[in-house]
Amino acid sequence: MIRTRLDSPGKSTLSPISILIHLLLLGALIFTLIPILFMFTASMMPRKDILKMPYRWIPQGFEVQNFIKAIAGNDGSFIFIRNYINSILVSGIVTFSTVLLASLTGYGLAKFKFKGRNFVFLAIMATMMIPFEAIMIPLYLVTTKLHLQNSYGGLTLPFLVNAFGVFMMRQYLLPFPDEFLDATRIDGAGEIRIFWHVVLPNCAPAIATLSILTFRSQWDNLLWPLLIAQSEKMKTLPLYIVKFAAEKYTDEGAMMAVAVLASIPMLVLFFTMSNYFVSGASVFSSRKG
Amino acid sequence: MKKAYIGIDKKLARWGWIFITPSLLFFSLFSFYPILNAAYTSFFRKNILSLKPPTFTGLKNYIYLLKSPDFWNSIRATFVFTLGTFIPLVVFSLLLAVMILLVNKKSQKYLQLAYYAPAVLSSVVAAVIWLSIFNPRGLGNQWLNFFMNTPGIDHQWLANSFMVQFSTILVYFWKYIGYFVVIFIAGLSAIPGSLYEAARIDGADNWQSFWRITFPLLQPTVVLVSVMSMLQCLKTFSTQYLFVQSGSPQAPINVITLNIYNTGIRDHQIGRSSAMSIILFLIMLFFTWFQFKASKADSVSY
Amino acid sequence: MKKTLIVLLSLLALGLPVFATGVQEETGPVTITFWTHEDPNRTALEDRYISEFEASHPDVTINRVTNSSSKMPELLLTAFAANEGPHIFNTQIEDGYAYIANGRVAPVNPEAVGFQSTEALTESYVDGVLNAVSEDGQVYGLPLELTNWAPYLNKRIFRDAGLDPEKDIPKTWEDMVAVSQRMVLREGEIITRRGFDFRYPYYLVSMVPMVEQLGGQLVSDDGKTAIVGDQAWLKFLQFMADWGPNGLNLGSPTYQNARKLFNADNNDMGMAMSGLYQAGRIRADNPEFYDSGDWMVIPYPQFKDAVKEVASAYYGHFYMVNGQKSEREQKIAWEFIAYMLSHSEEYLTEVGLVQPTKQLMASETYANIPYADVFAADMAKGNIVYYAENSAKIQELIKEAVEGVMLSGIAPEKALASLKVKAQEVLDQE
Repeated sequence: MIRTRLDSPGKSTLSPISILIHLLLLGALIFTLIPILFMFTASMMPRKDILKMPYRWIPQGFEVQNFIKAIAGNDGSFIFIRNYINSILVSGIVTFSTVLLASLTGYGLAKFKFKGRNFVFLAIMATMMIPFEAIMIPLYLVTTKLHLQNSYGGLTLPFLVNAFGVFMMRQYLLPFPDEFLDATRIDGAGEIRIFWHVVLPNCAPAIATLSILTFRSQWDNLLWPLLIAQSEKMKTLPLYIVKFAAEKYTDEGAMMAVAVLASIPMLVLFFTMSNYFVSGASVFSSRKG
Repeated sequence: MKKAYIGIDKKLARWGWIFITPSLLFFSLFSFYPILNAAYTSFFRKNILSLKPPTFTGLKNYIYLLKSPDFWNSIRATFVFTLGTFIPLVVFSLLLAVMILLVNKKSQKYLQLAYYAPAVLSSVVAAVIWLSIFNPRGLGNQWLNFFMNTPGIDHQWLANSFMVQFSTILVYFWKYIGYFVVIFIAGLSAIPGSLYEAARIDGADNWQSFWRITFPLLQPTVVLVSVMSMLQCLKTFSTQYLFVQSGSPQAPINVITLNIYNTGIRDHQIGRSSAMSIILFLIMLFFTWFQFKASKADSVSY
Repeated sequence: MKKTLIVLLSLLALGLPVFATGVQEETGPVTITFWTHEDPNRTALEDRYISEFEASHPDVTINRVTNSSSKMPELLLTAFAANEGPHIFNTQIEDGYAYIANGRVAPVNPEAVGFQSTEALTESYVDGVLNAVSEDGQVYGLPLELTNWAPYLNKRIFRDAGLDPEKDIPKTWEDMVAVSQRMVLREGEIITRRGFDFRYPYYLVSMVPMVEQLGGQLVSDDGKTAIVGDQAWLKFLQFMADWGPNGLNLGSPTYQNARKLFNADNNDMGMAMSGLYQAGRIRADNPEFYDSGDWMVIPYPQFKDAVKEVASAYYGHFYMVNGQKSEREQKIAWEFIAYMLSHSEEYLTEVGLVQPTKQLMASETYANIPYADVFAADMAKGNIVYYAENSAKIQELIKEAVEGVMLSGIAPEKALASLKVKAQEVLDQE
């Protein structure tokens, strides 16, 4: 492993290089964590403390009011809870279908030889280069023609699978041994059965990574729900945040409380499943692709 | 026997098609059709609200754009953002990945998690946090003034035309640095240790073995990461959009996607905005091709 | 083979959960969609009108959808581009005029709104207010509100700066600079309390009148030349450059929204520009401040050497009806609008919105609204905001010029030259 070789300067713990490395790593740590720490601390403070210069990092107590305002909303409707559930539902549906369709397609492209395979793969990859703003209006047309505006169907439809997921699953499956598949075929297993019982279980790390990435990016989606979700009941969390920010512009504490509540599920998901981020990332370092 | 074998091949080919058909239908409806629609629209003069049929104008939209200083400003803004973001992203994430592997194993995991954490937050949350930081009374001014020992200076993070470009880059860099660190660590860990043993026997020092072994072997990962981050940067929209909404001047950060959005939605010129989309699409296509081409030219085998 | 296809198709169907909205019938129950901008005080009122209207029209369901006023124009546009616009919507006339110009909205059905004829309808409103929505003898919208802006002033902060709210009220823009300089508090260059600040993205309503005071024009009378009167524009741009962070450092577009800070009364905003409705929002956000009486409204300032007295422009939010809906739905939509608008006095007392019928303007209720006289006097000195298909683009160009001189240190001459060229190009494209 690389460590065995490059570790040597680190062993004499006080060498200048080692100190420099630790300082740089610490600097990067501060840079990435400070804004998050700011969000958490400010959510506990009343407004006048947040605007104090210099900023005091330790809250003097806990401003419960911030969180009450965040959840009750400007009008006391508690629509926050419904919007929260919508975000979970929409992200969940999209994640499920992306994993399913991307593994089907990735498997088809990686393990079957057929005419036009490379063309199909390149065509799918090319869709990564389409800016969403360019196709927003045609997509809206398709969705409203199907009478899916203001519905979960409409919110999820354009995201049921994406090129990145297909790419990821294909890369992951390329090194999968053909002999193994052929052996199961000779044993008389059907293709669907092979996919379901042999291929999918072997993709667990890639599927976990893809799930998390898809869930995260959908949790983030702003522009499309803005167009499609027309009633308060169908809105998702990013829309709630944008609306809350517009109305409670001067109430930074409550604003940060909303941000904290919106981030908690992702942070929990991330810290509990962190191994999959790391193992899934190896997909990108496969040397043939 | 031979005949039966061909039969199996054919059968497998058919199964390949079956597996990809659902996605293919999806992409046809939600990607290929809309982009072809945009390509078609780009040859027309079309007002988004008008009920009258659009008038065919050939290449006029493209010619207009190529003559428009506003469009060239968007090209400039997009390239400043893309180069200013993805080069530091690739360089620093590689650097951090190498450095992380030098510290003890337990810290490695926590460092990766901490660096990755911003990527987990949603863009809207990130924007809310950073807009607070960039507020004249916020942490941005406080910290910069502390480090530069310039008390009371307003660095105009969101206002000054240079600073606002830097601020958008900073937000993006913050958000994605951890993501690429994790990918690079995976790439570095996959390099067989025996190669380093061999290099040491040949008398190479750490620096040499990094440039002679690590870097070439990591090249596919670097290319992939570069292409992906570059495409992401070229498509950037929400950071610039939210900044402009909160009072930043538009011209310095009027990236192509923002221009597409404004031309189509605010100015109702859907033909012209489609032409811009097609140009952006072609730019992305070219740079992806270029990066893969350039990387193949000096690929190393081992 | 067949079996696998069925499996695949059902897998695909799993990914496509269909919760479609119902298709509407031509007879029988009708659902009317009504898109409007977010305004918490108004929502309570209109929700009540909706249930009352639904009670008297059992076949009708009204579906009221709100979004922030800054998002509304783009949402409407996307929906109309897909031919799926709502039945009823309202938007500022600068954004709404394009719908009339492109034939997307239906004319008012005078009978549905309780009038014998279009003339009688027009006659019931203050002279001229329906001009912006009239074309070829037809009226295409009815005003939800007609609004102009004037500075709100926090008397406590005024006194705190050693100023007298009776005598030292800024009458000119030069005064405005002077009192702002007295009121502003800074830590280094960083402003912690502003005296006054502009309402930045709304250049057409709140800043073009400054140019007009100096004799300039946005568009010439014949509608052919953009940006008329170089000296006026230059003086305005120089004024803004002096106001900004590189000049006297009194404010900037990137500081927090002035009128929202004003309501909070946290000693960080002395004066902010807003409409009559702001009083209602102060009452909702901060009743203590509202009751203290420590706020007042003053007339829109004039330049000292103004050649023409011009106050803030006024804009109209007009209710319009989608012309692509069936006759029956259009008629019901207008009936519902008329029902809402029959509560003009409540709109005024509860939300501070002026629906300029002759009857309301002459009423006791109007006369009793605090500072209604200030707004009325100013409105007589203003004109309606510039509205055209391209008004949003024109506003963006003015924004670019002002931000250029305020924030990027561009010389007013250079900013003006570029504004002229670009605005002319937009005008010529019509």
